[in-house]
Amino acid sequence: MDKTILKVVDVWKSYDDLEVLKGISFELAEKEVKVIFGPSGSGKSTLLRCINMLTPPDKGEIYLSGQNLMAPEVNLNAIRSKIGIVFQHFNLFAHLKAIDNVSIGLRRVKGLTKEEARVKALDMLDQVKMKNWAEHYPAQLSGGQQQRVGIARALAMEPNLILFDEPTSALDPELIGEVLQIMLKIARAGTTMVVVTHEMGFARAVASEMIFLDQGVIVERGTPNHFFQSPKSERVKYFLRQIDILYGSHEALLKEPNEEEIK
Amino acid sequence: MIFQSIPKELDELLRVLAFWDHILVGLGKTMWLYAWALLIGFFLGLLLALSRQYGGRIISRIATGYVEIIRGTPLLAQLFLFYFLPFSINSFLDDRGLPFIPIGRWSFYVSTTMFGRTMTMVLLDHLTLIGILTLGLNSAAYQAEYLRGAVMSVSTGQLEAAQSLGMSRRRGILHVVLPQALRRVIPSWSNEAAYLPKYTVLVFYIGVTEIFAQAHYIISETFLTLTVYIVVAVIFLILISLISKVLDVIYKRMAIPGL
Repeated sequence: MDKTILKVVDVWKSYDDLEVLKGISFELAEKEVKVIFGPSGSGKSTLLRCINMLTPPDKGEIYLSGQNLMAPEVNLNAIRSKIGIVFQHFNLFAHLKAIDNVSIGLRRVKGLTKEEARVKALDMLDQVKMKNWAEHYPAQLSGGQQQRVGIARALAMEPNLILFDEPTSALDPELIGEVLQIMLKIARAGTTMVVVTHEMGFARAVASEMIFLDQGVIVERGTPNHFFQSPKSERVKYFLRQIDILYGSHEALLKEPNEEEIK
Repeated sequence: MIFQSIPKELDELLRVLAFWDHILVGLGKTMWLYAWALLIGFFLGLLLALSRQYGGRIISRIATGYVEIIRGTPLLAQLFLFYFLPFSINSFLDDRGLPFIPIGRWSFYVSTTMFGRTMTMVLLDHLTLIGILTLGLNSAAYQAEYLRGAVMSVSTGQLEAAQSLGMSRRRGILHVVLPQALRRVIPSWSNEAAYLPKYTVLVFYIGVTEIFAQAHYIISETFLTLTVYIVVAVIFLILISLISKVLDVIYKRMAIPGL
C-alpha cells in the first residue's frame, strides 16, 4: 500500500514570462487518490500536463515508480502509456466508435490483436456502463457518456495512475453524477488517481489528501476533513466559500461570518 | 429551291464528331495527365502540409517556401522551365564532352482499333513526363494548403489524447489526425480536383497532344473553330460535373456519424 507511484519534486514551469508552476512537490502512493483544487489559472492543468510530460517542466523532477521522467534516455511514449489521462473536454477520437476509442491504444500501443483488444475494450465499456453504446460515435453520445468512454479508454491501458483534468467541469449538471459515480467506483477499486476537480463531495468521499494550488504554489494541503473543518489560510477559506455558493450544498460546512474579500 | 436535309449547325457538329477517335485519344490523354498530376500532387501536398504543420522550424520553412514559390509563379513559366532545363543541362554536359540526357528518344504508348479506326495514345515520353511532373509539383502546392487547413482544424486535444495513450507523435498523426483531416478536406480539396483538368491544357504549349492539341488538329482539317471549341467545352463540363458529384458522394459516405 505504501509503494510510491508518483513523486513530484520541486517542479517549475513557465510559458514565456508567465510563471505557472513555482516549485510543486508531492508524493502519491499506490491506490491513493489525491485531489488538487484551486482557482483557474493556478496551474492545476499545467501540473497534470507536466506529470505526463505533454509539457515537460522547466525544472524539477518527476518520478514514476522510481523512474525519473526528466532523464534524457527515457522513452516518453512508453511512459505515457503508463499514465492515463481523462480530459476536461473528453478528447475522444471523433472518427472512432466508442469501442474503437477504447481499443486503439490496446492495438496500436500494446500490440494486442483486433479480437483481444475488442474483448478487453468491451469489458472496460461495461465497467463504465457504456457497453450498450459501444458502436456509437462520440458525436452521438452525451457529454457524460463521452466522459465515461474517456475513463474506459484510460483504464484499458492498465496505467500505474490516472490523471483527471476537471473531468466534470464541461458537463451539464445532470450529467456530472454519472461520471462521478464511475470515478468513485474505480477509486474504491484501488485505482491510483490524481484528480483536479471542484467536486468537494467526491473529494470528501475518496481523497486521502487534498492540495490547494494558487498562483503556482501549494498554499495548503491536508485531509478532506482538515479542509472542511479547519482550513488555515484565508485564500482557501475564500475559495471554499465561493465553491459553496456555487453548489449551495455545504452551508453547514462553512460558517465564515466575515465577508472580507481576499485577493 | 435548295433543299437542306439537316440544319447547318448540326451538319457542322457531325463533321467535327466524325473525328471522334481524335477527341477520344485527346480526352484519354487529358485524363491520364490529370490522374497522375492529382495523385503526385496529393502525396507531395500531404508531405508539404505535414511538414509545414509539424516539421519544426527549418523543415516547415522549406515547405512554406516551396508553396509560396509555386503559387507565386505562372504554371506556364514552370512548364517552360522544366521543358528547357534538360536542353540547358545537355548543352552544359556537351561542352564538357560528357554523355547527355536522351531527350525524345523513347516512348511508351497504347494502341487500339475501334470501328475501323486505330487510336494511339502516348502514355509516357519525354514531353508527357515533363507535363505530368510539372502539373504534379504545381498541384502539390495548392493541395498542401487545403490539406494544411484541414489538419489545423483537427483540435490539438486529439493528438494530445493519442500521445497520452502512448502513441508517438507520428502514429498519432497517422491514426488520429489524418483520418479526420482527410474527411474534412474533401469539400475544399474538390476545388483543386475541379481546377486541375483545366490546367492540364497548358501542356499543349510544350507539345503534349492532349485534348487541345487534338482540337487544333480537327480545326486545321475542318476550319470549324467555334464548333470544335464548344465540343471541347462541353466535354470539360461533363468531366468536371462528374468529378464534383463523385467527391460529393465520397464526402457523404465518409462523414462521421453524428457530426
